[in-house]
Amino acid sequence: MSEQLSFTDIEARICHISHLIEEDKLYFVQMAGPPLMALLLAKRMRAPAVGYVVEEGAIAPEPSFPLPRMMLGASRSHFRSVAWTGMNWVDAHAALGYMDYGLLAALQIDRFGNFNSSFIGGTYERPERRFGGPGGANEIASQCWRTLIMTRLQRRKFVNRLDFMSSPGYLDGTPGAREKVGMPPNTGPYRVITEDAAFDFDEATRQMRLIAVAPWATMDSVLERMEFEPLMADKLETMEPPSEEELNIIRADIDPGGFSTSRGQWITIDRESGQKVG
Amino acid sequence: MSDTMQVIASGKGEFKPPDPDGFREHVREHKERRLVNKVISEKDAVERFVSDGDYLAYDQNVAVRGPASLFREIVRQRKKDLWVAAKFTWTDVSLLIAGGCVSKVDVGWMEFGPVLNRAIQKGEVKLIEWTNGALAYRHLAGALGVPFLPMRYMGGTDTFNESGAKLIEDPYTGQRLCLVPALYPDVALLHVHQSDIYGNARIFGAGVSPLEIAMSSKKVIISTEEIIDHELIRRQPQRTTIPFYFVDAVVVAPFGSYPGTTPGLYGADLEHWLEFAAAQAQDKTDDYLEKWVFSVASHEDMLDQRVGAKKLLQLRQSETVREGYYE
Repeated sequence: MSEQLSFTDIEARICHISHLIEEDKLYFVQMAGPPLMALLLAKRMRAPAVGYVVEEGAIAPEPSFPLPRMMLGASRSHFRSVAWTGMNWVDAHAALGYMDYGLLAALQIDRFGNFNSSFIGGTYERPERRFGGPGGANEIASQCWRTLIMTRLQRRKFVNRLDFMSSPGYLDGTPGAREKVGMPPNTGPYRVITEDAAFDFDEATRQMRLIAVAPWATMDSVLERMEFEPLMADKLETMEPPSEEELNIIRADIDPGGFSTSRGQWITIDRESGQKVG
Repeated sequence: MSDTMQVIASGKGEFKPPDPDGFREHVREHKERRLVNKVISEKDAVERFVSDGDYLAYDQNVAVRGPASLFREIVRQRKKDLWVAAKFTWTDVSLLIAGGCVSKVDVGWMEFGPVLNRAIQKGEVKLIEWTNGALAYRHLAGALGVPFLPMRYMGGTDTFNESGAKLIEDPYTGQRLCLVPALYPDVALLHVHQSDIYGNARIFGAGVSPLEIAMSSKKVIISTEEIIDHELIRRQPQRTTIPFYFVDAVVVAPFGSYPGTTPGLYGADLEHWLEFAAAQAQDKTDDYLEKWVFSVASHEDMLDQRVGAKKLLQLRQSETVREGYYE
């Protein structure tokens, strides 16, 4: 009997994003939660020197593990920063062009990488399900050179029409659309990462393009879970599955006890083939 | 490029009109320039400085260093019709809404539970969209004494449409920019690590925008973990976050961020939030408020009768890091 590996969709996304982190770049990471967990995993596994800032103004922390549950504390997550500043300062660092990547999570996303973190269903005045709001996502997605967005692969998340555009992608996809509303040039969403698939954006049309799928997923299984049809890369790459070492780090240090990450949907794969089991 | 600044688009969100000159007059009339003892009780501070209908600002990052004891006192005094700047907030706005204190919320980010959802559905609370950064930036504009500042985000989104931002063409570069109106809050609540009796206050750690809020608010209440000797302020002026003349009241509040954390001193009490979450889910926030706010006379009473020494010691012990804060 071959060995199996189980993880949640949240853990899969954290691992996938962490594989993209480049050590010589600066990251602006949206508060606690999976985006920060992905950066920290990369820091532990493959890019120990990578620098990042968080909205509240901590610059290049070297967090002390294990982090407190739900990252409720600042002292360990801001541990050994090089500076403790404030929100207006780090937002200015992004405005100045120092932030190579913004790292964010989205509730709902459209083909141009515009995304929603405000409400689902109903109207602005009477939403069916209201969420916390854009937080710092709008300024991060507008001012960092490139934005990495993580979200779950579901039809109700990859939609033709957002219930609310909290933060910008390429807007209507026309050339210069972002600049026309005040954003710095040459910025925008770079990758969208889900548990089963990765997307980039076509340079000409600014539309989302499927570029890679997890070993346990197929093009069809991905498209079934999207309301819109993305563009297709000429060749679909296969994403690297989470490793046992990565999962151990997430569970022991980054999200001790799996307070956030264990609440996802479980995926069990055969280690050798990478295919889903059961 | 042109010599007139053209407004290309405007959000429809309501905003408190910026009034830098009115703020200057307020400062001239009401702000104390001398070093005077400003230490008063939380009850007196909230009675004197928080009025029904005020625009309320505060500083915290989620569970970190929020002015929780002052929020509870506002609920205890049943203040009404507040308009709050909810940037980087967790359950505090829900608490104020459960207490019937809030009519409008400028949204950056906050915990969104059943209390807020019910209040919106019933039309009791009105939201106006901004972002964390836009609210901090509006505080900065206020702190600089100007009516607005330009910035390079929010344009083109629904957030812009529901905000009070404007899209303009910059007369210097010809490029498009967003403008946001300065925020001049009526009252600010800030929790700090240390303050002298005059309100020279020290915050240790990353801080969102405490100084900007202190500078731009008409009335500033500080709650402090401890009062330190004025001489210590003079010896290490670099450590002062907020100079005294911005501050109207200093309230002594050890564990003032409870159930949140003040870094370097004590950790957050997760169990407490689970209790609040359960109260929200079961529509029993009245019971929660009775237990934690109305049935105790003060923050000190709450610590003594509801939290208890054992829990407080645990929270002290759970904060293992002092490096950077006190060392």
